[in-house]
Amino acid sequence: MKCREFREIADSYLSDELIVETNHDVISHLEQCAECRRELAARRELRSKLREAFIKAPENQMQPEFTDRLSTELHEYALGKRNAPIVSPRASQSSVMLRRTSWLALAACLVLAAGFGLVLVQQRISKPQQPGNREFAGGNPTPNYSSEINPAIPVSIVKTELAKSAVGDHRDCAIHFRLAEKPIDLEVAGRKYDPVYINLTKAVLSQQADAPLDAQFVEAHSCVFEGRRFAHIVLKYHGRLVSFLVTDIGRTKEPKADAARTLVDQQPHVIACSQIDGYQVSCFATARHAIFIVSDLPEGDNLGLALALAPSVFAHITRTENAA
Amino acid sequence: MFGIAPKRESLVAGEAQWERFEVEAMPHAASLFRIALWLTRDQTEAEDLVQETLTEALTSFHRFVQGTNCRAWLVSIMYHRQSKRRRDVTRLRLVSEAEERIAETIAFEPPTPQGLTDEEVLGALERLPPAFQEVVVLADIEEMSYKEIAAAIDVPMGTVMSRISRGRKLLRAELATYAQAHGFGRSGEQRTSEFPKNG
Repeated sequence: MKCREFREIADSYLSDELIVETNHDVISHLEQCAECRRELAARRELRSKLREAFIKAPENQMQPEFTDRLSTELHEYALGKRNAPIVSPRASQSSVMLRRTSWLALAACLVLAAGFGLVLVQQRISKPQQPGNREFAGGNPTPNYSSEINPAIPVSIVKTELAKSAVGDHRDCAIHFRLAEKPIDLEVAGRKYDPVYINLTKAVLSQQADAPLDAQFVEAHSCVFEGRRFAHIVLKYHGRLVSFLVTDIGRTKEPKADAARTLVDQQPHVIACSQIDGYQVSCFATARHAIFIVSDLPEGDNLGLALALAPSVFAHITRTENAA
Repeated sequence: MFGIAPKRESLVAGEAQWERFEVEAMPHAASLFRIALWLTRDQTEAEDLVQETLTEALTSFHRFVQGTNCRAWLVSIMYHRQSKRRRDVTRLRLVSEAEERIAETIAFEPPTPQGLTDEEVLGALERLPPAFQEVVVLADIEEMSYKEIAAAIDVPMGTVMSRISRGRKLLRAELATYAQAHGFGRSGEQRTSEFPKNG
């Protein structure tokens, strides 16, 4: 090994990132070369100095009050005694925008926030509906409920790859933000791909406006997970992120899908539940679309949210499908 | 229907989860804060980011694989959250072609200077282009492996290796220029006065 080659990999040697053979070459070279030994010692000292200076810099220290508050709030959150001690993404963005954008942009932001309504509607169903009870007081279709999968509900949907895709989208988009394709505006996607996306957010947010749920709107967009496009509305409920996902199932000509559609046509309002990869999934369907509610909430809460949102969403999607 | 107090079983389960989390994740809070501060350049935003990160980690703690690097897992969550925060309000921070070119042009490497003060070292780090600063902070200060960095900032490992190499090289070049200008270098060499001598 030559000195020039050594200097190229000296840092990786210090980081223990070299393969065994190269490590051996480095050691052999160092045994013979005093100048490279000095260079290695200097780099080691620089790294140590950099680390020490950065870690002990006064501005890089956490305030003791913050440390205590963080620990206390996380502990209480773990015990379920409080909602997540979390600054909502929307609120954080607003705080950033306060510092970085003009008052005009801020005003536009506030108008948008007011338009969407940050707070959703209170659950008005105090207990789960019994199977067979399909009429809502207002005349809207009411979802049926079953705590266990039974043949009358869309098992074909909630147990399929489709539901796994919904869970994958929730995980990779809402939780980890690592989708390969950047999400696009929901209304734009509605004009381009699927008209039911248009005004879907309104259908979700206007649901039960007279009895607000303790849930927050986070964002709405359309995204693609493993080739399947979803309308994706992200909510925060009891401190957890919840994905409300709508996807088209009506365009395939596969016999199984046709059978599922027939079942759905007969039982359009049922909700099926399942657990996939540790997430709770509630699902209902219209003639051409499957709707998923995915979260890591307890099963009852996830289902309760699905039950609360289903009527207006079902009505909106069905109306749009019939008009198409 | 939704405001029911936690049951005894869930309290016990929550306490058990918290005990594990407190041992595995909470010791990394200070490290997370340093990275958050570097990412946001704002004390309050850094605190928010740490809080969001640890809350999400606690919620997803059942997915953490025991025996793997918890800090790398937490940093990865933090980067995803920060990327989400930035998505709509700022443009993506990319390494500009100009910065890449600057890094490419360091053909000659002077010997690494010694005897530097903390301020001098941190000043040189601050002057690096952000994308190079980022990987140097994660690799040399937070001591994350190349693989862990690649996963956290979501870029290919080859790119991480290349940026770390260039970042370290730029840092050394910056410090060597500084040392030369102030008349000192390797250990043992006399450091001249900061002030010009009279006469």
